[in-house]
Amino acid sequence: MIRVESLTKVFRRPHAFSGPLGPLRTLLTRRYDERTAVDGVSFEISAGEIVGYLGPNGAGKSTTVKMLTGILTPTSGLIEVDGRVPWRDREANARAVGVVFGQRSQLWWDLPLIDSLRLVGDLYDVPAARFTGSLRRMRDLLWLDDFLNTPVRQLSLGQRMRGDLAAAMLYDPPILYLDEPTVGLDVMAKQAVREFIAETNRLGRTTVVLTTHDLADVEALCERIILIDKGRVLYDGGIDDLVTAYAPPRRLVVELADDETRTFEIAAGQSIPELIAQVTAEHPIRDLSIREPDLESVITRIYAESGR
Amino acid sequence: MIRPLAGMARVGLRFQLAYRSDVIMSVVALVAQVFLLRMIWTALYGGREHDPQGLTLEALLAYLSLANLQAFATTPIIPRIAHFRIRTGMVFFDLSRPTGYLPQMAAFQAGHTAGGLLMLAPAVPVVLLVGTITPTEHPIGYAATLALGYVISVMMSLLICVIGFWTLETAAISMLYRLVSHFFAGTMVPLSFFPGALGVLADALPFKYMGYVPAAVYVGHLSGGQIGQAVAVEVGWIAALAALLWAMWRRAHRRVVIQGG
Ligand SMILES: Nc1ncnc2c1ncn2[C@@H]1O[C@H](COP(=O)(O)OP(=O)(O)OP(=O)(O)O)[C@@H](O)[C@H]1O
Ligand SMILES: [Mg+2]
Repeated sequence: MIRVESLTKVFRRPHAFSGPLGPLRTLLTRRYDERTAVDGVSFEISAGEIVGYLGPNGAGKSTTVKMLTGILTPTSGLIEVDGRVPWRDREANARAVGVVFGQRSQLWWDLPLIDSLRLVGDLYDVPAARFTGSLRRMRDLLWLDDFLNTPVRQLSLGQRMRGDLAAAMLYDPPILYLDEPTVGLDVMAKQAVREFIAETNRLGRTTVVLTTHDLADVEALCERIILIDKGRVLYDGGIDDLVTAYAPPRRLVVELADDETRTFEIAAGQSIPELIAQVTAEHPIRDLSIREPDLESVITRIYAESGR
Repeated sequence: MIRPLAGMARVGLRFQLAYRSDVIMSVVALVAQVFLLRMIWTALYGGREHDPQGLTLEALLAYLSLANLQAFATTPIIPRIAHFRIRTGMVFFDLSRPTGYLPQMAAFQAGHTAGGLLMLAPAVPVVLLVGTITPTEHPIGYAATLALGYVISVMMSLLICVIGFWTLETAAISMLYRLVSHFFAGTMVPLSFFPGALGVLADALPFKYMGYVPAAVYVGHLSGGQIGQAVAVEVGWIAALAALLWAMWRRAHRRVVIQGG
């Protein structure tokens, strides 16, 4: 469905001058600043997959998504989405993909939500009957009814995000790019968004590329993740394999009588009762617990090893 | 092809209606401006019937009212919209639609203008009265020059939108454009009063088609062959602007960056 090969994006911008004549100088300058945001990324995603596209801030995730949608032209490399090159065949690609950027909205700020949804119906030429059906489904799944007629600027972040998800899916695109769709949402709203994504994927076999900093999203939705940093792929594969391969040791966390907390690594094959006995002999302890390695500790470790 | 544009036009119209109170304020300002111009020009004429250009005071007042009404109704919103959306990266969504960016913006503008006219409607009788405007002898010439002038105005504002993809910053350019276009449209002073080089410049620039030309046709200051000539030049401008827009858009398209992530 999606094939990416040696994808690279170098941002080359005229040097931004400051001062009153700054914009004019920027317009005329030959001085450029360069920054490699995506650096030789390759992966393939098949139809119906939900893939977590993860990485620390500035890793190049959003830039990749912008290239996948065909809005940004790569500096080099190749993308094929459903057999099309997105930036060459923009119109056909546009009809096939839905996009949500958690950080910005496609909804018209000053108008009631329903106006923006209708506009999407018009822009993608969704037949009236299908539009009504789609809208009804969105209203049920995303509980839109309470605020369908409210101007978007009066919506809470969670409500707005649900509106954005509806707008991205109204024309039933087979591919969905979600860039931080749960950013800033409360637990309930996150749950609703996750369920919506899972449902969409299950019913329509929608292919989903999901970018998020909340690993609970990933654990709830993805079987596979692609981890990138500084524009390069660090890992591409199953979550379970990742945890087994990179799992840091389990830890014994003890709370001492004087409110101090100490952590002991449990080496492979070490007896836990022995370790506890040893620790209790040396310190007066109040409480203890054992921490299992989780996805978060694994990913923290990978980021750390990649030089952060 | 029609439905996406109709949808954009509807959003443009709703957008205009959502800012009702702004429009009411501007209508008040418009009426006040026409009133002030009327006072100043009446004083300048000082009891004379005709000015050196052969314009009666009555025709001049009608001209000023009309030119201001037109300039007000056709002032484009899209440079502001595009500027905001480029700066915030929201333009991503405009570019990810199956419909072209420029047609979307043009349709939005058309809807916005329609909304403005709708709200302006109650003020029209007042302006007509304050401006002592009587029915024109050249309704078709007026409508034609005005409609084409509007198309020119929209195309110029699309040009500013496109420039935004280079500079990412069009607030200053938009303001300059507004100032220059209103001045050279002749909303304060008819173009026939502009002296020497300024007059030549004003005559060469396309801004006059948004104010002076249609208003002068309306009051009979331009007539017959002059109208036909104006229409022909307007069509020429539209063709030239279309070519320029097309060429600039092709280049802008390639250098699109979406800010923020
Ligand atoms: N328009 C631009 N001009 C110049 N550099 C840019 C531009 N957009 C992004 N970058 C740079 O490219 C790199 C990758 O940015 P990107 O937005 O893709 O990161 P990200 O992985 O989405 O990060 P985050 O998790 O913080 O959203 C960053 O170093 C950023 O500064
Ligand atoms: Mg990002």
